[in-house]
Amino acid sequence: MQDIYLGIDVGSVSTNIVALNNEGEVVHSQYIRTNGQPLESVKNGLRELKKNIDQNTNIKGVGTTGSGRQLVGVMVGADVIKNEITAHATATAQVVPDVKTIFEIGGQDSKIIIIENQMVVDFAMNTVCAAGTGSFLDHQAERLGVPIEKFGDMALAAERDVRIAGRCTVFAESDMIAKQQFGFSKGEIIRGLCEALVRNYINNLGRGKKLEPPFVFQGGVAANKGIKSAFEKEIGHEVIIPKYFNIMGALGSAILAKELMEETGSDTNFRGFEAADLDFMPSTFECGGCSNNCEVIKVELDKQVIAMWGDRCGKWTNSL
Amino acid sequence: MKIGIPQSLLYTYYYPFWKTYFEELGIEVVTTPATTKSIIDKGVKASVPEICVPIKVYIGHVITLLEQNVDYVFVPRFVSIKKGQYFCPKFMGLPDMIRHSMEGVEEKLIMPFINTKSDNIADAFKNNIFGDKFPLNHKQNKRAIEKAEKIWLEFREYSKKGYSIIEASAIALGKASKEAFQSLNQKKIDVTIGLLGYVYNIYDPFISMDILSKLREMGVKVKTFEMLEEEDFNRQLKTMPKTLFWTFSDKLLAAGYHFYNDEEVDGLIHVTAFGCGPDSLLGKLLELDASIYKKPFMTVRVDEHSGENHLQTRIEAFVDMIKRKKLKVQRGA
Repeated sequence: MQDIYLGIDVGSVSTNIVALNNEGEVVHSQYIRTNGQPLESVKNGLRELKKNIDQNTNIKGVGTTGSGRQLVGVMVGADVIKNEITAHATATAQVVPDVKTIFEIGGQDSKIIIIENQMVVDFAMNTVCAAGTGSFLDHQAERLGVPIEKFGDMALAAERDVRIAGRCTVFAESDMIAKQQFGFSKGEIIRGLCEALVRNYINNLGRGKKLEPPFVFQGGVAANKGIKSAFEKEIGHEVIIPKYFNIMGALGSAILAKELMEETGSDTNFRGFEAADLDFMPSTFECGGCSNNCEVIKVELDKQVIAMWGDRCGKWTNSL
Repeated sequence: MKIGIPQSLLYTYYYPFWKTYFEELGIEVVTTPATTKSIIDKGVKASVPEICVPIKVYIGHVITLLEQNVDYVFVPRFVSIKKGQYFCPKFMGLPDMIRHSMEGVEEKLIMPFINTKSDNIADAFKNNIFGDKFPLNHKQNKRAIEKAEKIWLEFREYSKKGYSIIEASAIALGKASKEAFQSLNQKKIDVTIGLLGYVYNIYDPFISMDILSKLREMGVKVKTFEMLEEEDFNRQLKTMPKTLFWTFSDKLLAAGYHFYNDEEVDGLIHVTAFGCGPDSLLGKLLELDASIYKKPFMTVRVDEHSGENHLQTRIEAFVDMIKRKKLKVQRGA
């Protein structure tokens, strides 16, 4: 009989699941493309998890994070629903205990987290613009006809430097087209792109902050060796990529669930693996009760409303 | 006579004055509702694309009032409320922007020139602001100004006690009792945040997505610039080699440094509209100095988009960071 704690990170691009044992070791992990279907990807993840673990496993606690944390939290019956910053920082502080600076680049947002004595003391997230995140790289990979997995190697193999404007991705794209016409190779363009992305990231998020080593780079984009090397060039220091770099949010949320359950000793709200077969129906409606016209999100299970949120006054949230 | 006041820009800061003044003169006051999607859409369509979102919102409110068949719309021209300092040019040129973007609207505008020595704008109403649009009796005008000034000063006192501007306004205008607002006597407050931003951003539920209520729901005590005393600002501004040129930006800057020095305040959140010129200085100055005071500083940038998730995640993470830090200190002790 084994006890495990689950962490689920539902992001724009990927959905990740991590299972920890009592010792805090990762016994199972998954990285699934969300493809715009957060509920489906979590259901698939749960089925996959069930296949891969001992049938006598006891789920002791569940945490969710990421932009879909609330919806999926309702679906699986989460004990902890936490934002990505807290989840990421929790995981990193465990894996690299003396970490001082975390660079995290995900599908649609990027953040910088400053840690002191394993505590978040400051952070910054990209504001209105998603420039320089994973989605942009995906898009460029497609445009150049290069699989995203090959990006890193091609960037490292490039011979010449090419400077690409990184302030805005729209300009970056036109600059890339121009540089291609100047005869630079794909690899060189990719390297220029990686450097532009990192320059933009440090300028936007790191300005005014004291960036000190150890530096940890995580998030899906950390798979790209070109970006890692661009980071090292920009800050002039080694950058650590943790083993579970692309599932750190899920790992952190599993740790948070474990901490909470151990502290309170209470029973988990987890609905069980049957959650994967239940028919959850999220929908949205505009309230219209006042001039705010809030968009209320409603989740139904077997035609029964089980959760609502998004209303500013609490009229719907509190109606259950 | 019916006069319309757009619920936008400096409305929240001066509404108790304006409403009292006009009503004392026997003029009916009509206001727009708090900003909605349709109001902002009207504003966006009628304004130049590059202008900041608060001005687009204001224009939307003016159009909404004109549709309601008011006789006049009150569009004050704020020039200065402090010696040697001015308003952002968009405030100084506001009536001009309005009269040139909508044909035939000029004769419907009442646009007093506000150029006073302090926040108390009573002096600007001493001369007839209506022209020949309203038969103003001098004595009656004097009485109306006195009453409006009194109510406004009361309203400011409630703000300084920690009520939000909306609450202070309701209390001063006799629409609600002090007891109606529980937020000041919450049992357990463990986090205090200095929330910086112009009143038209913070208190516009559409622009800031009601960040103040969201923070309070998380058990946070919120302090804003209008809750501070004039001396608090002056004390901070005196230490600066040079201040900003814009009065409200200066107040926010001073409030920021006041919060940095205030032991009760755990962190600062700055709400700014995309493309705001004065804020590019204000925000940067405060951000660069955050490390000196060892307090976290976060910028929340707002625009026409209405996605609430991003805001929610950021403020949740910010509050969480402070709570966990405090918890650790407690455990350690």
